[in-house]
Amino acid sequence: MEERVIEREFGEFALNMGPQHPSTHGVFRLELHLRGETVVKVIPHIGYLHRGVEKLSETLDYDILPPVYERDDYLSPTANSLAFVLAVEKLAGIEVPKRASYLRVLVAELQRVTSHLVWLGTFGLDLGGALGGGSTLFLYCFREREKILDLLEALTGTRFHTNMNQIGGVRYDVYASFDGDLSQTIGYLKKRISEYKDMLENNPVFLKRTKGVGVVRPELAKEVGASGPVLRGSGVAYDIRKNKPYSDYTEFEFRIPVGRNGDAYDRYRVRLEEMFESLSIIHQVMEGLPEGPIHSRKPVKIALLLKPPKGEAYAAVESPRGELGVFIVSDGSSKPYRVKVRSPSFSNIALIPYILPGHLIADAVAILGSLDPVFGDVDR
Amino acid sequence: MAQKVSNARLVKVTLLALWFTLKNLFRKPVTVQYPIVKRPIPERWRGGTFALTTDKETEEENCIGCKLCEKICPSGVIAVEMEKHGGRGWAKSFILDLQGCLQCELCVQVCPTDAIVMLYGMEAPVTRREDLILDKEKLMANEGLYQAAWATGLKLQNLHEPKK
Amino acid sequence: MTSTENIAQGIILLGAILLIVTYLTWLERKFAARLQSRIGPYWVGRPHGWLQPIADALKLLIKEDITPSKSDRFLFNLAPVWVVVTSLLGFAFLPLTASWVLVNIDLGLLYFSAIGSLIVIGIFIAGWASNNKYALISALRAAAQVVAYEVPLLLSLLVPAVFAGSLDFQDIIRAQDGHWFILFPVVGQISFLTFLLAALAEGNRIPFDLSEAESELVAGFNVEYSGMKFAYFYLAEYVHLLAASLLVSILFLGGPLGPFFSGGVWVAIKTLLVFLGVLWIRWSFLRVRIDQLMMLNWKVLTPLTLVNLLLAGLWVSLNG
Repeated sequence: MEERVIEREFGEFALNMGPQHPSTHGVFRLELHLRGETVVKVIPHIGYLHRGVEKLSETLDYDILPPVYERDDYLSPTANSLAFVLAVEKLAGIEVPKRASYLRVLVAELQRVTSHLVWLGTFGLDLGGALGGGSTLFLYCFREREKILDLLEALTGTRFHTNMNQIGGVRYDVYASFDGDLSQTIGYLKKRISEYKDMLENNPVFLKRTKGVGVVRPELAKEVGASGPVLRGSGVAYDIRKNKPYSDYTEFEFRIPVGRNGDAYDRYRVRLEEMFESLSIIHQVMEGLPEGPIHSRKPVKIALLLKPPKGEAYAAVESPRGELGVFIVSDGSSKPYRVKVRSPSFSNIALIPYILPGHLIADAVAILGSLDPVFGDVDR
Repeated sequence: MAQKVSNARLVKVTLLALWFTLKNLFRKPVTVQYPIVKRPIPERWRGGTFALTTDKETEEENCIGCKLCEKICPSGVIAVEMEKHGGRGWAKSFILDLQGCLQCELCVQVCPTDAIVMLYGMEAPVTRREDLILDKEKLMANEGLYQAAWATGLKLQNLHEPKK
Repeated sequence: MTSTENIAQGIILLGAILLIVTYLTWLERKFAARLQSRIGPYWVGRPHGWLQPIADALKLLIKEDITPSKSDRFLFNLAPVWVVVTSLLGFAFLPLTASWVLVNIDLGLLYFSAIGSLIVIGIFIAGWASNNKYALISALRAAAQVVAYEVPLLLSLLVPAVFAGSLDFQDIIRAQDGHWFILFPVVGQISFLTFLLAALAEGNRIPFDLSEAESELVAGFNVEYSGMKFAYFYLAEYVHLLAASLLVSILFLGGPLGPFFSGGVWVAIKTLLVFLGVLWIRWSFLRVRIDQLMMLNWKVLTPLTLVNLLLAGLWVSLNG
């Protein structure tokens, strides 16, 4: 193969950041063109983590796929399977019992908090390095995250890949003492997260490293199709949970935090506020958890495969990273004819070539971190 | 950059950040020294290895070789061969390849006879890959080695039934 | 003192420093772990992991020693040696007790600061010889940073010298009898703080560890080094830090002066406290950016230390 010649001007320095680099949040390659330490041009390269989930879906039955989709975005598995399950339910016209909907929301919001905690920790690593204050923040965040994972483990059997969502309902009901465990965890998290909030928002180094860095204008964000905290950080109040509600989100009261300037600091603020909102939603779920069945399909039939009618359906959920949509075309058999996943990280990292130039290398790392890409989600 | 920070405030917040980490210095470490101390395994835990159960009264194996688990497995690690004699089906061979297992518990959920269950044993590392491929003998032997986990097919299916 | 005696003492000092530094890494790991709600080294030498540094050293010794094929072999192998030697040299002039110092010259402070800044040459050599882009950027950063921070470092070092009226460490210690320099109102404290900041920058510690910057430059200048050569850089970093802590305790905290114990014990206690303080800062802060670092230096620290030095001079001439 012919070696690609990198276009070079006098004084320009090409630096390959990744695919193995501590700050690319996975396997991702940035071709940075530097002048001094300033980035003048950047070409992102993706595809190192492509696992072919969409193609794989065509060979597996609908009922088998939810656990496979949980492997897509490895920081918020439930959001992925939820999007898939919602799309299939729309396709096949399956009603979900209310209790199941509530439990889906419960697990999804718990995982939103864990995802944002991981993000905050790794953002600390991006800014502070593994051998310093950054890792301190990282380990604090993981310490708190562990509380939620313990809770999920008690509820569903695994810490992370909960496998909670199934077509037609959820797999596990809450156990007897769950209510107490949950309110204890929520109280603990609220206290600790406000502690971090106080610390970071007063920290001069943190403010200097994030304010005015990586400004995304709302027009640009809309143009590339960014969603989630990245879009809301730019001041656009767009949240699928409010704008196109699914899974009974209309019954909970919560705010959509938005930023003003669209810089890394605003994105941080949005995510932090979202954690509090999520905790409040979880509280409301437990308060109003209705009695009733958790599944609408006959359990034994689960192996005797679902065959939705011919047609197509799209369902989107608000994953911690933004709009996660699944589009399914059915040909009437027990396997999807075609599945397309609209992943939020993929659209969000499309911002990189626009906002990186003009910043220093250190800022490039901070901006990449503030977009919160998950490469399992980008490459699928 | 955009924000001007006064000097007095700078000193204050610097001390605040230091105070924050100092506070954590006196909190108890959260590390669990694993082989000495063990985390309690929650009741619903899934993540261990598998076993094929036998009926307690008749000491006959429960598996009827119906291949439902083979069909439902997302990564296709289960292979069952069926034979029929004595009025019911039997698994002639049953191979479960743990190397590709997602621990999703779907095989347990669909089992109509509670034949395949997961086990609480989490400390079963092996040194050879072949040991991860469980055949019928190993799966049957596993039943006596570890405690069976919470979930069985019937229990999971009952969860889905409307509450009375 | 005969020269053989001198050499013997030197070798003992060298061994002692290397041993102490090895255990300082253990101390840092334990301290950082507790700060982060962890336990830290535990298994090797249970229950406190006190054999961990030895195990680390052994591991690094038996690791494969790689010289990248496209690197400059001679310079690549020279750099670790250079870094260790220059960082160790400074100890020859630092008094470890009230009376004992390996090489007693009356320009100790000047000599120490001259040698202390040589280490950056080794870092630059390493970055250049590695033939790696990350290492090169890191080397350039290190050079810019150390050259810049040399100014406030020296200016704040001069304040104790002005107070004592001498560049001899013994004179500086004697002048602090009953009145440590850090206790001098305003001037002493400012000079102490600026020195600490500049020493952090000079020693590549967070929040100023821009030349190492794992999250941006992977590991900077030592990215291509492995095994014992990497250990040399690691060692040099700690030796440098220990020297800086020792210097702070001598210049500002009265060195060996103190009640009850002999001089050596006081030096050890004060040095350890300063060292822990530096660790505390390291594990509590994020990293600043290169432009912010330079801004801090030229716009804040340099003018501040200049004015401070002027004030110190005024104070001495008025009282003097």
